[in-house]
Amino acid sequence: MKYVTIIGDRQFMIELLDDNHVIVDGTTYDVDFDAISDQPVYSMIVDGKSYEAYMYPSDEGWQVLLQGRLYSAVVEDEREKRLRAAAGGRVADRGDFHLKAPMPGLVVSIPVGEGQEIQKGDVLLILESMKMQNELKAPRSGRVARLRVKVGDSVEQRQTLLSVV
Amino acid sequence: MFNKVLIANRGEIAVRIIRACREIGMQTVAVYSEADRQALHVRYADEAHLLGPAPSRESYLRIDKIIEIAKKSGAKAIHPGYGFLAERADFAQACLDEGLAFIGPKPSAIAAMGDKAVARATVSAAGVPVVPGTEGEGSLSDEELLALAPQIGFPLLIKATAGGGGKGMREVLAPEDMPSLLNQARREAEASFGDGNVYLEKLVEGARHIEFQILADTHGNVIHLGERECSLQRRHQKLLEESPSPFIGDNDDLRQEMGAVAVRAAQAVEYVNAGTIEFLVDKDGHYYFLEMNTRLQVEHPVTEMVTGVDIVKEQIRIARGRQMRYNQDSIHRNGWAIECRINAEDPYNNFMPSTGRITHSLLPTGPGVRVDTGVYPGFEISPYYDSLISKLIVWGETRAEAILRMRRSLEEYKIVGVRTNIPFHQNLMDSHRFMGGQFDTRFVEERFSMDAAEEGKEMHPEIAAIIATLVTHRQTQRAAQIIQRNERDTSNWKWLSRWERLQR
Repeated sequence: MKYVTIIGDRQFMIELLDDNHVIVDGTTYDVDFDAISDQPVYSMIVDGKSYEAYMYPSDEGWQVLLQGRLYSAVVEDEREKRLRAAAGGRVADRGDFHLKAPMPGLVVSIPVGEGQEIQKGDVLLILESMKMQNELKAPRSGRVARLRVKVGDSVEQRQTLLSVV
Repeated sequence: MFNKVLIANRGEIAVRIIRACREIGMQTVAVYSEADRQALHVRYADEAHLLGPAPSRESYLRIDKIIEIAKKSGAKAIHPGYGFLAERADFAQACLDEGLAFIGPKPSAIAAMGDKAVARATVSAAGVPVVPGTEGEGSLSDEELLALAPQIGFPLLIKATAGGGGKGMREVLAPEDMPSLLNQARREAEASFGDGNVYLEKLVEGARHIEFQILADTHGNVIHLGERECSLQRRHQKLLEESPSPFIGDNDDLRQEMGAVAVRAAQAVEYVNAGTIEFLVDKDGHYYFLEMNTRLQVEHPVTEMVTGVDIVKEQIRIARGRQMRYNQDSIHRNGWAIECRINAEDPYNNFMPSTGRITHSLLPTGPGVRVDTGVYPGFEISPYYDSLISKLIVWGETRAEAILRMRRSLEEYKIVGVRTNIPFHQNLMDSHRFMGGQFDTRFVEERFSMDAAEEGKEMHPEIAAIIATLVTHRQTQRAAQIIQRNERDTSNWKWLSRWERLQR
């Protein structure tokens, strides 16, 4: 199986030969790979060196926490990638952004109004959780649409709070 | 004299206090909210009683219920821990009124130090230097504060009279910003403490936050256990503490002088039990009284590690009316201790709190390592309380050894299920400014970033790539197997849950 894996701005061609051998950009590695007690923590021994990493799923792919450093990773099947390239690239940067509550909490302030034009980085909503007030910011510029909550509401984790179109 | 203690708190500090009680043969009574039924303090205590629903005001802040439980259970003493009711004079008074020993200072001392303006006036009268400000002026109107501001000079701080933890605090750089900032500070103070009063204070630039641990018994003995350096903060929340302070270092004259001043400040309010005098120290070694915390501090373990004194046991001894086991001459410092506060916060996402179930946890151990925690695998980190998961404390013969030991302990520490600030501490341990002891209270916010800290460090993108690819591959394989009917080697329920995991 061949994959194209992107870490930050670097791209790796990775071929999985069998359970213990992978080729990364032409170099073959001896790999022993295992999940620790069924957790998203993985231990990997590569050519005798021992590494341990946490894996967190993200919107685009994975976040890999390895030796106190966070890497964002996107893994694509080589065939998928070719198909997509043939179809004319991905449909990115389209569609609405839905601001979701990163944790349960209480809405203490909504400094924006429906229909308001906002810039990337503007504070959209302040959510109080764990005795802290947390500013949720706009990941891109746009216009605020569909405010689904009001000040004083208690919200659940991942509940959609508002949208940016 | 009591031999059963009610602990009016939760989390790691409740566990810490239970441990001290256990060691000296005291019975323990835990109280808990509905969210904490499975908490460690409930499991460790001899008795446990439900207070009420999860929100603090319906549980851990219910003075009436806590006193009722104390009476019902026969506990003759209450330890408040820190936070919640620890610095509430009315709670201490209510305990005394019911004939219960409050393991802490007298209500009058809490009240005197709790109102920052009164505290400043009191210690200032005892000859303790304070930061120039509108001390002891009581509640001033916006107009009066605006008129006084130029005398103090800019930059200055607006602080809540009843405040703490940075709530209701605003920094003013220029006079024209002041009216709106005053407004914000008052609103926040009103919301947090039910008291919108604020005062002004000169902003000490390049300031370090250094505090002295005080112990005082009812026989008139007051001693200090040396200092703690607490300058590494973010949004006025401490993140890392150490003892001794690298700034004071070998300057024992300064240490003894500040210690003596701290003792004097405590004596000014006839202080009894454990307390902490916080100072701001400028670049030239001028120190100013900041405030007194009339309770056990989160960071008390670093002092315990270098002095060998068990502060909580000493607190109980003092509350029983006994003399302290120590005098000033018997307090000796040995080595260096560092504490990292491990919070459920994502350092890669603006320290956003993270809630969820801790699914896996592996604690660092080995020589010179101590972990104070109230959580374990399976425990749910809820949004109701603060984000402190645990305190990782290490001791070393020298500061260098302590830093190296902290590094390896942070590497060993695994917590899965919630995001933690462990990577932040790892980067901090690698920072040259931290190693050199060159930092002030603004270091973390203004001169430290995760991106910059990670720059130039050894990178293993190819290792991350292999791991990400193998994990993705395994998931794809499993998903493919689900589609093939009747080919399952295990129960459909397992497959369903695996399939659900893929849909996240």
